[in-house]
This record gives sequence, structure tokens and C-alpha cells, in this order.
Amino acid sequence: MSHPLLQVSDLTIHGDGVTIAPFSLSLASGQRLTLLGETGSGKSLIAQAIMGTLPQGLTPAGELGIDGTSYAAADVAARRTLWGRRLALLPQEPWHALDPTMRAAAQITESHRHVAGLAPGKARQATQHDLAELGLEDAGGKLPGELSGGMAQRVAFAAASAGGAPIVIADEPTKGLDAPRRDAVVELLARTPQAGGALLTITHDIDVARRLGGEVVILRHGQVVERGPAERILEAPQTEYGRHLLDAEPSRWPAPPRLASAPDATPVVAARGLAKSRGGRQLFSGLDVSVLPGEIVGVVGPSGCGKSTLGDMLLGLASHDAGEIQHAPGHRLGLQKLYQDPPAAFSSHWRLSRLLDDLVQRHRLERAAIVPLMERLGLDERLLARRPGEISGGELQRFAILRVLLLEPRLLFADEPTSRLDPITQQQTLSLLVELARERRCGVMLVSHDPALIARLCDRQLALEENAEAASRPSAKAEPVSLA
Amino acid sequence: MMQATLIAPLRRLAWPALSTRQRAGALLLALLLAFAWLVPLWHDADPARQQLVRILELPTLAAPLGTDHLGRDMLARTAAALRLSLGMALLSVVTAAVPGILFGVIAGWRGGWLDRILGSVADACLALPGLLLVLLLVAIAPGNFWALYVGISLVLWIEYFRVVRARTRVLVASPQLEASRLLGFGPLYLFRRHLWPELAPQVLTLAAFGAASAILAMAALGFVSVGLRPPTAELGLMMIELLPYYHEAPWAMAQPILALFVLVFSLNLLAGKDPR
Repeated sequence: MSHPLLQVSDLTIHGDGVTIAPFSLSLASGQRLTLLGETGSGKSLIAQAIMGTLPQGLTPAGELGIDGTSYAAADVAARRTLWGRRLALLPQEPWHALDPTMRAAAQITESHRHVAGLAPGKARQATQHDLAELGLEDAGGKLPGELSGGMAQRVAFAAASAGGAPIVIADEPTKGLDAPRRDAVVELLARTPQAGGALLTITHDIDVARRLGGEVVILRHGQVVERGPAERILEAPQTEYGRHLLDAEPSRWPAPPRLASAPDATPVVAARGLAKSRGGRQLFSGLDVSVLPGEIVGVVGPSGCGKSTLGDMLLGLASHDAGEIQHAPGHRLGLQKLYQDPPAAFSSHWRLSRLLDDLVQRHRLERAAIVPLMERLGLDERLLARRPGEISGGELQRFAILRVLLLEPRLLFADEPTSRLDPITQQQTLSLLVELARERRCGVMLVSHDPALIARLCDRQLALEENAEAASRPSAKAEPVSLA
Repeated sequence: MMQATLIAPLRRLAWPALSTRQRAGALLLALLLAFAWLVPLWHDADPARQQLVRILELPTLAAPLGTDHLGRDMLARTAAALRLSLGMALLSVVTAAVPGILFGVIAGWRGGWLDRILGSVADACLALPGLLLVLLLVAIAPGNFWALYVGISLVLWIEYFRVVRARTRVLVASPQLEASRLLGFGPLYLFRRHLWPELAPQVLTLAAFGAASAILAMAALGFVSVGLRPPTAELGLMMIELLPYYHEAPWAMAQPILALFVLVFSLNLLAGKDPR
């Protein structure tokens, strides 16, 4: 039995109102451990404490054993020489971690040359080998801005692991990636333990934790709630919080109320033969869309295939090249939208009560309708005294839903409304949205990267494909969701 | 409701939060304002009245800051010059900021040909050296306060235009504006709630810098004798008038210099960091 590659004993972090309870782990060659938790559970801080990159004001304490050498957790300088050679960090949102002015191959070569210490020629060879292995043969000459999210993730992985570090820490490696790319990243991560390294992954995605396997630790408020092998923890959690977290997985959500409407009802929006091109590229053509009152239509497709553009066209915010769009008769405020990043959809300078008053005054709305709706949405009246930046993303998104629903919309285009929220918050927000949409007979188009979520919530789905060339062939079709 | 009442009063002020530096600048400026406008209330000397028997006197009870080479009261003259400079600064800031913000918002919001035309006009104004433009206007209407101030604000509006246009372009394409538009709010609301809170800190900074440079420009023109005409009490004019007597009466010449320094310094402190 070899000694563990990474050993953490009684790691604690204090300062700035953050407390991480003593945390220990031990990873031997070929082992993997996943930290699972919501935003604010302290999972990223543990990774930063191991690397030695904690933000100012936070002090770690405890012992770290790396490759049999022990380090005090507070001694950051001593660990700096290990970066890239023994310890590698795969950052979240890798397009921010790559140098935007340097070509992909050059960034990987740099690591081979300066971290691994190879000769220039050898370093270039090693880069070519890495690129070929990761399926990036054509991407070497591209700048990070020209790479897709998944490709950037792979380039960052190659650059981070060029030094041959056996211990890889991946901080939210799948954040913002769509389902196929997420699977590719998981495969990529799994290479490290297969090659005899140790992998520590931080994620809020239960599916990622399940695919990676190994040991799983569920964290909440800096405390370990539960830990054990992935098969056991993710199938039969022992604690209440663990069950709560797992129930937030889309495939386990309770089914939404059935759509109780005659199939011959007038659609809130019906579009025929829509076509749109952007930047000389045809996004889609011959696209037919219709949404019935109270119906939830899922919109899926790879990044950049025009899902948001389709929404803007249906809402009248963007023009379409061909085809026609018919809206059900009604006031023009009946078309509304929910945004991916809730804080970006609000001016951060005003209190929520002010924003709500503005809306009430502008349209002479009934104030009496607000309080019951706020209760339905689980919004505390005290929140109204705060500003958008001072409440959580989930609360702000529910406030956005409140504002929109006060206008009695016919069509609501929800553009990945919960992709930045934690699983539990996501489940609460979406089930409320579906319930209220059914009740108020508001048609919803729900964009999501998560096929399981669409399958669970939506009555029908509209699948957009990338690069639809043939105009004769309908490039996208709406079909009933097959419930798995 | 307990928590709401605890949080609310802390953030009631809509004014952008000022740094310590900016607060020091504001305090200094307030003191100067008080000096310039309070002096005439208790010291009723005429800044233009000559008393040739009492030239270049040291400070006395009758003339607390002494007299100049024509026996005029220095305290009254410095206060009058400060009033003129501050009034002029305020006027040129307002006349530069209002069209600058207006055109900037229009250009950033509408885009297209309107943006191109307004951008070209701004570029054309920039192509003329600012001081040259002012000198040209002064040559057309010598000694005229209005010519001076129109010239200075013609040069200054471009800064507001550029900063406001750039910020507006970003904001107009943002989800927050789109969301409010979908909720049925009109352009005035969008400006008040979305644009202005983002623009205000930058406009404040530009205004303070702009006021300082307007004051300096006027003093510089006075110093080279193309600005306002004697016997007006003006800081640059006072400096050049008192320059020949710096040996006999250094305290007299020091006064307009010190007043100008403190005035520009307080405005620069108030401006905070350069937004550009």
C-alpha cells in the first residue's frame, strides 16, 4: 500500500464571517473525491486552501501532506513551487483563465517548456501530442476567444496538466457547459486517476459526481453533512439534507400538473417558416413554433444555435428574415422574458420596493394582487427593502417572476432562468414557475441545457440543431417529450 | 419588519458614495464658497474703489488682507475674484455637461447615422486646439465674459459626450434595459432608473475636473491679458497686475495664487479617480 498522494488533516478556515469546520481527506494514487454542495457551502474554499490561493482575510490552519511531505496549511509560500508540478488546478470558466491574446498551442507549449522544463522542440512535440489526444488538432492555432466552451476547457486542462502534476483539483469544471460538453469534461477528468493520479473535484452538479464516482463529500455551511462512496451516498443518502439535495435532481422532481386544455385552443404564439441568419450563418430556416396557453415548451440545442434569438423574435425584440409570427390578441405587455443571470436584469441601484412601485404606478395595477402572489413565490416582504445585489439569485429570479406575472403575460420566454442557481433553488423556482403558468394560462418557452429537466417539466420540446443547411428539410421540430 | 427598518436608513442617500479624498475636497470647496459669498456681508469695501494714498499696505483692521498697488481692498478683491471664477466654473460645467450628456445618450441609444454624425462633430471640435478656439472667440468679442464662457464650454462638452455615449451603448444592449422595456416603461424611466445611476459618478468626476480646467483656462487668459479687462477682479488678472510689486508686497501677489491653488486643488480632490 503506497502512501497517499494528498492528505489533508483537520483543515479549518477562519475569517470574514466564514468558518470551515475541521476537514480531512486522504487520496491515494488512482483515487477520486468529489465535494458536493450549494453556493456558500465552502467547497471552493477548501480547494483554495489546499492550493494556497485563499482570498485575503481568510486564514487556513491544519496539516497538508503532499507526496509524503507535510506542509502547514498556513504556509502558502512553500506550496507555490508545487504548482503545476505536483498540484494542478483546473479553474472554473476556463476562457477566463486562458490568455486571450495567445494561441491555444502556444499556451500549452509554454507549460511544457517552463513548468515541465522541456526543450523548445520537445515542448512543441508534446503539445501536438496533447492536442491530438484531446481531439483538438485544428484548434492549436486559434485564440481562446475563437474556441467553444468545451474546447477552451480542454485547452486549459492540457495547459494545467502539462507539468505532469499527479494531483488535479477541478473547481466547478462543468459550470456553464451544455450536456454533451459536460460529459466530455467528465471523461477528461477521469483520465487523471486512470493514469495513477488523484482527482479532487468541486461541483454542485450531482450528475457529475455520479459519473466521476469514488468518494463523495456533501458540504453545507462549511460542515461535512455526509461522506462515503458515491454509489451509496448518491443512491441512499442517510441525512435529511442529503436526501433534499438529491431530490433536487431534475429526474427525481415530482411531475408537474397536467396541461388541462383542449388541443384546439388558440395558441398564444404561432410562427410558421421562420428563418434567421446572423453573421452570414443560417441559424435556422423553415421553423414552425406554436405555444398553447398554459403549455410549457422546452427549447434545447447546442450553445450558439439561436435559442435566445428565437425568443427575441417571438417577443418582437428582433426581426426575422422570413416566415410569419402570429400572436394571440391582447395587450402588448403580454410578451415577457426571464433572464439567465438575475442580477443583470435589474438596475442594482434601487430597492425592490421602488421597482415594484414603479411597475404598479406605470400600469395602475391592483396592489391587492401583490401580497398573495409574493406568498405563493415564497418572497418575504422584508426583501423589498433590499437592492438586487443584496439578495440571493434565487430570490431575485422569483422577484423577476413576480414582476412579470403581475402583468398577466400570455407568453413567457424563460432563457435558462435557473442555470446559475443551485439545484435545490432551481427545483423550487421552476416548479413554482410551471405551477403558476398552468394556473394563469401563460404559455412558457423554457430554454435549458439540461435534457433531464426538459423531459421532466415540458409538455413538448423544440430541438434546434447546429448549422442547419438544408432549407427544404425542417431543421427543427417540436415533438412530444418522451418521458424516460 | 424589524430587519427592514434596520437596513433602510443606512442606504437612504441617493448621492453617490464619496471617498475620504472626495469628502476632503467637498469640505475645502464649501469653505471657499463660504468665504467668497460671506465676505461681502460683513466687509463692505468696494473691490474697484481706488485709494491712492493707501497703496500696498500691510493687513490692517480696515483692510484685513492689505491693499494692492491702486489702494484697492485685497480681501474684497479676492472674494470677488473667487465668486467670478466659481460662477464661471459652474456655468461652463452646466453648459458643457447638459449637451454632452444629452447628445451622448442620444448617440449611444439610437446608434446608426445619428451616432456617426454626432461623433464626427465631436471629433471636429477636438481637432481644433481648445485654447485656440477660445482665443478666436475672444478676438471676435474682446473682454466679454460670455464669449469666454461659450468658448470654454464648446471645448469641454466632448468629454461628457464620449464618456456618456460609451457607457450608454453598453447599457442599452443590457438585459436590465430590455427587461424594463418589456415591462412597458418609457425612455424617461429607463434614463432615470437605469442610465443615470450608472452615469452619475462618472459625470460628477468629469464635472469637477472640467470646473478646475475652466477656472485655470480663465486665469491663464487673464494672465496673458486677453481675458477679462481691468478693473474686474479676476484671479489671473490680479496676478499679472501685482507681478511688478512682488518685491514690495509679496503678500498681495500671494493671495490670488493661493486662492487659485486651493480652488483647483479642492475640485481635483472632489473629482476622485479619473474615469477615462
